[in-house]
Amino acid sequence: MKKTVSILLAVLLLIGAVAALAACGSKTDDVTTTAAEAESKDASPASAGVVFTMGIDPEYPPFSYLGDDGEYTGFDVEVCQAVCQKLGWEFKVFAVNWDEKLIQLDSNECDCVWSGMTILDSMKEAGYVISEPYFDNEQVLLVKDDSEINTSADLAGKTVAVQLGTSGEALLGDDLADLAATFGDLVTCDSFVKCFTELAGNAVEAVFVDKPVAESYVEENEGFRIIDEDLGAEQYGIAFRAGDAELCAQVEAAVKELCEDGTYAAIAEKYPTITANLIYLH
Amino acid sequence: MASGLGETCAIFFLTLIFAIPLGMVVALMRRSRFKVLSLISGFFISVLRGTPLMLQLLAVTYGPYYIFGVSVSRNKLIPVVIAFSINYAAYFAEIYRSGIESIPIGQYEASQVLGYTKLQTFMKIILPQVIRRILPSMTNEIVTLVKDTSMAFTVSYVEIFTLAKQIANSQTSFMPFIVAGVFYYVFNFIVSFVMRRVEKAMNYYTL
Amino acid sequence: MSVLSMTGIRKAFGDHTVLKDISLHVDKREVVSIIGPSGSGKSTLLRCAAFLETIDSGEIAYMDRPAVRTVNGKAVYEKDLKPFRRDFGLVFQNFNLFPHYSVMKNVTDAPLRVQKRDKQEVRAEAEKLLEKMGLSDKADAYPCELSGGQQQRVSIVRALMMNPEILFFDEPTSALDPELTGEVLKVIKQLADEKMTMVIVTHEMAFAHSISDRVIFMDCGVIVEQGTPRELFEGTRKERTRQFLQNYNQAMGVREQDSAPEA
Repeated sequence: MKKTVSILLAVLLLIGAVAALAACGSKTDDVTTTAAEAESKDASPASAGVVFTMGIDPEYPPFSYLGDDGEYTGFDVEVCQAVCQKLGWEFKVFAVNWDEKLIQLDSNECDCVWSGMTILDSMKEAGYVISEPYFDNEQVLLVKDDSEINTSADLAGKTVAVQLGTSGEALLGDDLADLAATFGDLVTCDSFVKCFTELAGNAVEAVFVDKPVAESYVEENEGFRIIDEDLGAEQYGIAFRAGDAELCAQVEAAVKELCEDGTYAAIAEKYPTITANLIYLH
Repeated sequence: MASGLGETCAIFFLTLIFAIPLGMVVALMRRSRFKVLSLISGFFISVLRGTPLMLQLLAVTYGPYYIFGVSVSRNKLIPVVIAFSINYAAYFAEIYRSGIESIPIGQYEASQVLGYTKLQTFMKIILPQVIRRILPSMTNEIVTLVKDTSMAFTVSYVEIFTLAKQIANSQTSFMPFIVAGVFYYVFNFIVSFVMRRVEKAMNYYTL
Repeated sequence: MSVLSMTGIRKAFGDHTVLKDISLHVDKREVVSIIGPSGSGKSTLLRCAAFLETIDSGEIAYMDRPAVRTVNGKAVYEKDLKPFRRDFGLVFQNFNLFPHYSVMKNVTDAPLRVQKRDKQEVRAEAEKLLEKMGLSDKADAYPCELSGGQQQRVSIVRALMMNPEILFFDEPTSALDPELTGEVLKVIKQLADEKMTMVIVTHEMAFAHSISDRVIFMDCGVIVEQGTPRELFEGTRKERTRQFLQNYNQAMGVREQDSAPEA
């Protein structure tokens, strides 16, 4: 009898504890959201204690990737870091799942998506605040050195790989749909590494990919070449949630300052494959 | 998304067809008197149960290229089914083993005294009882398999979940995931229903 | 001719020797009971005879054909024991019926599958035997639907269906509720009356007394004494046998006293 009572008590205590925890959890959540709302409405975010979380694709060199020291780095990451320093914000990085990046942005997991992101009309239509473009990008084809493919016309009947959620994938489904229709097969991988492995392992004949990514890959790996054909020009920008226009303006102003004091150019020097296409440097 | 449905079913049924007998081979090897066989099988089981299925998918798909330089398979169904089959064979093997071990020794002794051969004893006396005993655990694993098929997306195999992702991405909408979720639920509902019927059909005796 | 002859049987489980140089010869139509305290090795002896345990040394022969010989002090089994398995049947303490088979299938499967006998003939024989054991209405039942006593009777039918020369019983009533032992003992008695050759390991002294041609008393892995029931139960000259029987009678007495008020 005693035993039953004590077990019952324990169970009740446990339920109580869980309920209390849940209550606490939701309370803190409320606090953070209100703080974030206040922050975006308040035009003086330079106030101490602001945390700015950038959302990145952790597998997108040289814009954003995991460095040898285990910390995220890359051109975009370094610029954002400098921006935060300038504004006195605490800098944080959040690795998004690239094909769900906007959903993750909406759910406050990060404050912006800033990672070699192609500006798409659909983003603007959906209400996202997009910064001025800072990078001109092209889509190129990456093939093996000994490949017989020399132009996009040679892709007829061939298997082509593209990364899920990239502008390349979007283009092939939209502006370049006619080209895509000539492919033997289109393989969608969830990371670039897999796209390149498919190419190296002869499972596909070409990879449709952003130029800087292709360039840094060719630089580090033997036996591949780029077919530079104007397949689709596009520009990179930073995406913010709808209603975060002020936040966007602050970041853009800070980037301008970085350009003026030379920090921006100093960072760009570390990434030679992309400097030619950085809009602010020209 | 209907085409992805077929691909998901293909992974599911092919995996079952290969993993169910393969698991039995592994389980029997595990119980073998030959130490080497039992050690190999034990190692196989521990590796496959001790590493993520996603990693095994990558290893089976891209491993041969990185290790031996052979081409990556164009038809991704092959590596996907191989990876799923060996992974599930390992889980099934453990279920079979516990099932075989739960059969009282007296069943073997009675069969031996009556003159049944080892093969007859296993096929006619032991196995039917094992199947009866392991059905509930098998149902659990099979339900998990339905959901695990979504992992084929890691090697770019276009099944229903990969398609949902692609469509969600192009439409900036969450709806395809909901559709996929409903599909998995309905699939599993059918699986559970069928397994319950099978269990019931075998319920004519108690052990 | 002896149906079963075991000579100089030795058997050890690790360091523990269970059978120390035991010899047992059973003639045709003889009913032999083996009694003794638990752990005396009587069940092990029977299981060795049925090839469920391997002996360390000694000789086993059925119908004067050697199945196990001893070469250089080690037991050597015939490669193919199948012909010898045909000679005996074994009724287990726990019945060991096949739970997924109906009663009819339990008793006919081995004759059909192992002995490859004619289906009609086997079925007819099974029906006859089941009827004899009072089980004719249970042919389509599954073991789980039967009482312990019924299950044990089915397992006796199953053993008989193989037409063995000799039938072994390993404590056939020990797993049964006391009120069910009677029906099983009655069936065994019936077989004894029909002059079936049998070896019965049992704790039922009165039963052993009434049906046996010969009773063997085993203790600590040796045969202490053997003889007709009368010689053993009434005229034993061995101290250990006397003590065992005394203890047994005392235990029975206590049990009877306990249950007396209810009866």
